[in-house]
Amino acid sequence: MSVASVKTLDAAPGSSRLQAAYLPGVAYDEMYAADGEVRPHYANVHSRLTSLSPDALAERQRTLERSFLLQGVTFTVYGAEETTERIIPTDLAPRIIPAAEWTRIEAGLTQRLRALNMFLADIYGDQQILKDGIVPRELVLGAPSYRREMQHLYVPHKAYANVCGSDLIRGQDGAFAVLEDNLRVPSGVSYMLANRDAAKRTFPGTFRMSNVRPVERYPDLLLSTLKGMAADWRPDPQVVVLTPGVYNSAYYEHAYLARLMGSPLVEGRDLVIHENMVYMRTTTGLRRVDVIYRRVDDDFIDPLTFRRDSSLGVAGLFNAYRAGNVVICNAPGTGVADDKAVYAYVPDIIRYYLGDDAILPNIETYLCREPAQLSHVLANLDQLVVKAVGASGGYGMLVGPHASQREREDFAQALKADPANYIAQPTIQLSTAPCLIDGRIEPRHVDLRPFILSGEKIVVTPGALTRVALRRGSLVVNSSQGGGSKDTWVLADDARETGR
Amino acid sequence: MMLARVADSLYWMGRYVERAEHVARLADVMLNATLDHSDAAVQTARIVLSAVGDSDMSRAGLVFDAARSLTLDRDDPNSVLISLARARENARQVRDQITTETWERLNLLYLRVTGENAGLTFEAGSSAFLHDVIADLHLFKGAADATMSHGEGWRFLMLGMHLERARLVSRLLEVCFGDGRAINERITLMNLLRMACALEPYLRRYTSEIEPRHILDYLLFDEEFPRSIRFATARIEEHLVGISRHVESGGLSAPERLAGRLKARLQYADVLELEATGASDLLATVVNECGRIHEAIFETFVAYSLEARLPA
Repeated sequence: MSVASVKTLDAAPGSSRLQAAYLPGVAYDEMYAADGEVRPHYANVHSRLTSLSPDALAERQRTLERSFLLQGVTFTVYGAEETTERIIPTDLAPRIIPAAEWTRIEAGLTQRLRALNMFLADIYGDQQILKDGIVPRELVLGAPSYRREMQHLYVPHKAYANVCGSDLIRGQDGAFAVLEDNLRVPSGVSYMLANRDAAKRTFPGTFRMSNVRPVERYPDLLLSTLKGMAADWRPDPQVVVLTPGVYNSAYYEHAYLARLMGSPLVEGRDLVIHENMVYMRTTTGLRRVDVIYRRVDDDFIDPLTFRRDSSLGVAGLFNAYRAGNVVICNAPGTGVADDKAVYAYVPDIIRYYLGDDAILPNIETYLCREPAQLSHVLANLDQLVVKAVGASGGYGMLVGPHASQREREDFAQALKADPANYIAQPTIQLSTAPCLIDGRIEPRHVDLRPFILSGEKIVVTPGALTRVALRRGSLVVNSSQGGGSKDTWVLADDARETGR
Repeated sequence: MMLARVADSLYWMGRYVERAEHVARLADVMLNATLDHSDAAVQTARIVLSAVGDSDMSRAGLVFDAARSLTLDRDDPNSVLISLARARENARQVRDQITTETWERLNLLYLRVTGENAGLTFEAGSSAFLHDVIADLHLFKGAADATMSHGEGWRFLMLGMHLERARLVSRLLEVCFGDGRAINERITLMNLLRMACALEPYLRRYTSEIEPRHILDYLLFDEEFPRSIRFATARIEEHLVGISRHVESGGLSAPERLAGRLKARLQYADVLELEATGASDLLATVVNECGRIHEAIFETFVAYSLEARLPA
């Protein structure tokens, strides 16, 4: 039967609970094909979900949430009266990506990161791409994320963006495209790992049958990427994770990665600079630090070089970096390559450095800085998503079709006042995946954030954070805007399996 | 090798965990004692309130309220809840340094005492509530012992626990036997032993002849009982020696010297001496020396001046 034709529970008294509640819209659905058939790679999970009663599902959901709370997989909400800790809403139904699709994603991301790192090396080097007029000079050099201080600085392996989390979405046609790259301080990888632990406990049998590729190697791959950044000049480099501290909303992740890598988790106050070397204060005196995996934004890493009012960083750190005595990962200034306006040029950037077309396409993007494109955007505000170039986390954006006339008019004013600060993209119906909502399985919009490590070589971990817009119909998946997450199963194909 | 800030947090985590357990036990003993209507009940409540530094003795008449506030009051700096919250906050700071097993025990306890049902659960069965808190703290200590590497970090945790224990037991004895005070009432003495978790081991050692001088002897000088002050100071010294092995300086560190001296003092003192001079002096010495050791630890391992430690 065609699921799409079932509109309410009453209209389908004979159908199963799962199908009755599941009302896919026009978006591509990860589990059901357009004809209502379950996609083959979802067969195991689908049959498990349908075989469990709503009570059993809800019970598993509660067990999962309790285990997250116990482990402290939480973020802290500071209220006027009381501070509370919440878990990031986590959905127990896994999202599944078949092997062939993953092969393409992996190739596309590897290509993209190779080009973006070459772009950064060029921008902070001879700026050939600007001279050749591929990317407008003022777009790059005028971006707030461009760091003049990085000009002509030696970066090992020319690997600037050591950790990247790119956001992919699947449009109505079912094809994956890149929505944005996060090259600064991307987070979420601990949820990829915690969700996997939870999924194994929630659906052990289904997991075993499904031939899922492991994600557990991420921490050791990260460590070897980081160590590789100093291997030229230190035999066994000391790696530390730099956190803004326990009050940061991603603190759990910082501690998690430090623990799994076995590296000290340091705050700015633990570090000391002496004669352009970086040391940490230990119980037995000062110890040399060689690589800093920093989870602190560029602006805050060194009050002498960047923001003077920062108390999170270390005075003199940038000079130690410039002197080549320490490696900061990601390199400062990588934000210039994930700027929402530069994003529009990434396919050209790939072609320029690698001579190939982008394997993973971009979303069509209008640069409001161009007058012709601005007038197109203004005329079609009700169909477009408009984003501020410098903002992230779902802030400073307008989802045209979901906004009121009033909101659109207000936004149009802001746009006209500062067009260079905005880009616009068509509203994409993100694909939907099955989620457990109030004891029932319902479709919700999702995106996909895989994590790519760049050092001596580029490695894509076979897994991702799938972010979920938990509100019905919402297209915004950011956790700051009511989003949640779920485990992502990348399947091994048979050849790959026997090859191992 | 560990970060100075991390060592400091582990040390404080140990202190707060020990304090939480002690206060939970005092509250429990107080509640149980007052089930009987007797002079001993009032006396026990007074001992508990003095031991936690509460000067408002009128509360000795409202034992249940006093016990609840010792357990769950968010504004009482001595309450079990506040100690657990601080222990956990320190644990969160060093989450990468303690094992998941250890962390989960403490986090579970914290979630229980801060949960919205905590007050109701306490009302419904205060004794069971306190019993569970103490049992979970034992599980925490067991998990730390069984799953953490017994290296530097673990030693800082133990250091905090034993230093706090020495202080708390000294304070308890001071309240009972300091300044010429003497408690002779048998039930009160039994309650005192319960507060130090010492009743059963004491009975095995001295039989049911419960006498103040035996109690002093046991809680001050016993070599094997884990809550005696001598035992605690011996552990303090032992862990400081262990920690100092990692420091590359020659000779004894200041905390080690202080701890060694305190241990020797307790090792060679005896109860006859106390009967002559009273326990006050010795107990005051213990509290003062613990304070000095605490400061010396901070100065030697955490807040040392950088000039002295610059790499060559």
